[in-house]
Amino acid sequence: MPPFYIFSEEKVLLETKNGTPLISMRNIKKSFGSVHALQGASLNVHAGEIVALVGDNGAGKSTLVKVMAGVHGWDAGDYEFEGKPVKIKNPSDANNLGIQTVYQDLALCDNLDAVQNLFLGRELAGPKIFGSRVRRAACEVRAKEVMARMRLSNLSLSRPVGAMSGGQRQNIAIARSILWTPKVVILDEPTAALSHSAAAQVSSLIRTLADEGLGVVVVSHDIHHFVVEATDRIEVMRLGANVASFKSSDVTGEQVVNAMVGGDEGANLAG
Amino acid sequence: MTETLDTPQPEAHRKRTFGELLTSDLRALPVIIGLVALWVFFATQSDVFLTARNLSNLFVQSTVVGIMALGLMFVLLVKEIDLSVAAINGVTAVLMAKLVVEFGFSPWISIPIAIVFGAAVGSMSARWVTFVGVPSFVVTLGLGLALNGVQLLLLPQTARYGLLGTGVEVIAQTKISGASAWLVLAIGLAVFSSLVVSSMARRKKAGLSVAVMSGLILPIVGGTVFGIIVVAILNSHQGIPLVTLTFAILLGIGGYVLKETTFGLHIYAVGNNDEAARRAGIKVENIKMAAFAIAGGVAALAGVIAASRTLGVGVFSGGGIGGGTLLLESIAAAVIGGVSLFGGRGSIHAALLGALVIGSVQNGLNLMGVENEIRLIVTGLLLVLAVSIDKLIERFTGQQSF
Ligand SMILES: Nc1ncnc2c1ncn2[C@@H]1O[C@H](COP(=O)(O)OP(=O)(O)OP(=O)(O)O)[C@@H](O)[C@H]1O
Ligand SMILES: [Mg+2]
Repeated sequence: MPPFYIFSEEKVLLETKNGTPLISMRNIKKSFGSVHALQGASLNVHAGEIVALVGDNGAGKSTLVKVMAGVHGWDAGDYEFEGKPVKIKNPSDANNLGIQTVYQDLALCDNLDAVQNLFLGRELAGPKIFGSRVRRAACEVRAKEVMARMRLSNLSLSRPVGAMSGGQRQNIAIARSILWTPKVVILDEPTAALSHSAAAQVSSLIRTLADEGLGVVVVSHDIHHFVVEATDRIEVMRLGANVASFKSSDVTGEQVVNAMVGGDEGANLAG
Repeated sequence: MTETLDTPQPEAHRKRTFGELLTSDLRALPVIIGLVALWVFFATQSDVFLTARNLSNLFVQSTVVGIMALGLMFVLLVKEIDLSVAAINGVTAVLMAKLVVEFGFSPWISIPIAIVFGAAVGSMSARWVTFVGVPSFVVTLGLGLALNGVQLLLLPQTARYGLLGTGVEVIAQTKISGASAWLVLAIGLAVFSSLVVSSMARRKKAGLSVAVMSGLILPIVGGTVFGIIVVAILNSHQGIPLVTLTFAILLGIGGYVLKETTFGLHIYAVGNNDEAARRAGIKVENIKMAAFAIAGGVAALAGVIAASRTLGVGVFSGGGIGGGTLLLESIAAAVIGGVSLFGGRGSIHAALLGALVIGSVQNGLNLMGVENEIRLIVTGLLLVLAVSIDKLIERFTGQQSF
C-alpha cells in the first residue's frame, strides 16, 4: 500500500522537465467497434508540468484519459511510464503506478459519504473477522487533512455525496485523486461544474501539485479562462489524433480554438 | 484564493432537519410506526394477540421469511435479484432430508452440505450473470424452475420425506429458557456494546467529534431495553426458540458485515455505481458472487428450518413449484423493510421489520378468523403502501434517501 500523500514543505522533484517523461504515449489507437475513437494519439507528461488536452466534443480526449487510467485497453501504440513500457490492464494497475484520475463523470457512489468515497477500494481496515473492519476514525482524520488542504473544511464528511452540489462532488473527486501519493493526476473537465472562483481554486491547486513535482493532465473546454492561463502546454486533439501543440504562455485562446476546429493558422503541427 | 467553495455556512456542523433524518438515520421510522399500528389493531381485535405465547409464535412464524429476506437483501443491494432463492430453499431442504432419511447421514453433516450447496448454486448464477451478461432476473427465473424440477426428482415415490425422529426436528423444538436465555442476551449485548464503544473510543482518540448521545448511549440503551423486553416475553412462554436465536445471530453478523466491513461498503458501492466501484479497484464480479452465495446459503438454512418446523419435506418445500408465496413474501419483506430494488440502499433491520410486518398480518388475521385470501390482499397492499410512503417522504422533504 503506498503511503499517504504528504503535503510537506520540501518539494519532491521526480524528474526534470527535460528528463524522461513520467508518461509517454505514442501512436495510441483505440476503436469501439466501428468507432475509431483514437487514431494514433500521442502524449508526454513530465514531472512538474501541467498539460492541457483540448479538442472538440468527441475528439477522443476522454478515451485517451481512460486508456491512461487503465479503464480501457488500447489496440495499438506504445505506453511507457517512467521510461519503461507498461501493461496497464485495469484501474488498479494505474493506481499502483501512481496515476490518479478524476473522471468526467466523477465516478462517485452517491449513496456513500465523502470519507467512504475518498477511500473507496483502498479503505484503511483492521484484520479479517467476517470481513475487515473499516477504520473509520483513521480514514476520517486523513480525509480531514486533505479537505483542509483544499480549503474544504466546511464540507460535511458524513452526508451521502448524492445530496451534494455539483461543485462539492467535483471537489470530493479531486480530493480522492490526491489522497494517495500520486505521480500523475489526470483531471477530465474538472472545472465544467464549477463557479468562476471555484475554478480558479482548482487552477491554484493543480499548480501547487505541479510545483510539488507531479505531472498533471487536464482536459478542459474552458480555453480562454482556464487552459491558456493555468497550464504549461496545450495538446490539441481532433478526430482521435493530435493536430497541434502549444506552449501556453506563447498562445492566445483564439489560436487554440482555431486549431481545435481546423483553422490551422499559428499551429505547429505536432510530431 | 482564500474563500471556501460553494456552501457559505459551515455545513459540517449544521443540525440536520427532520426531513433529512427521515431519509437517513430514521428511515425505519415509518415501518416501525406501521408495525406498532398493526399490533395495536390486532390487540383490539383479539385478546390472544399480545400474549407471550402468541408473540413467541409470531417470532417463529416470521423467521423463515426473515432469514430469506436477509439473504436476498445482499443481492438486492448489489442491484441484482435472485428469483431462485425459494427454489434453493426447497431443493436443499429435500437434499438434506434425502441424505438423512435414505443415506443415513447425520443432520450435523447433511445440514452443512445443504448450506454449501445453496451457496454454490447462488455463486453459479452470479457467474452466469457477470460473465455471460444475462440479467439476473432471467438467470435466476430459469434456474428456479430447473431447481423445482430437481426437487421433484429428488423426492421419493411418496413425494415426501418425514423427518420426525431424525434429529432435524429438534431444531424447531429447541427453546433456550430461564437463565440461559438471559446469558445469551448478555453475550449479544456485550458484543454489540463493545463494537459501539470501540468505534467511539477510536474517534475520541483521533480527536474527532463524538456524538455521545446518538452514537453511544442511544444505541446501547435502546438495544438493551429492546433485548430485555423480547427475552422477557419469550421467557415467560417457553424461552428463546433456537430458530429465532439463529435469525437474531444472522441479523447481528449481517449488520456487522454491511455496516462495518470493507466488504459491506463495497456491496453498497457496487449497488449504486458499479462502474465507479470497478474504477476504484473493487472486483465487482467477486462482490456480486459473494452476495448471491450468501443469499443461496442463507436460503438453504431457511429451508432446513422450514423442514424442521413442518417435520418433513415434499413438493410444498420452498413454497412449492414456482416459489409460491415464500418467494414473493421474501422479496416483499426486504422491500417493506426499506431495501431498494434499484440497489445500494437498505439496512439490516429491513429483514427483521419486513418479516415482522408480514408475520404479524398473517398471525393477526389468523386469530381474527379471516381467510387466507384476505391475508394475501392485505400483504400486497402493505407492500405498495410501504414503498409509496418512502417515495412520498422523498417528495415532500426534497431529500433523496440513500
Ligand atoms: N465506451 C464507448 N463505446 C463506444 N464508443 C465510445 C465509447 N467511449 C467513447 N466512444 C466514442 O469515441 C469518440 C470519442 O469520445 P470521447 O468521449 O473520448 O470524446 P471527448 O473528446 O472526451 O468528448 P467530450 O468533449 O464531449 O467529452 C466518440 O465518438 C464517442 O462516441
Ligand atoms: Mg470527454
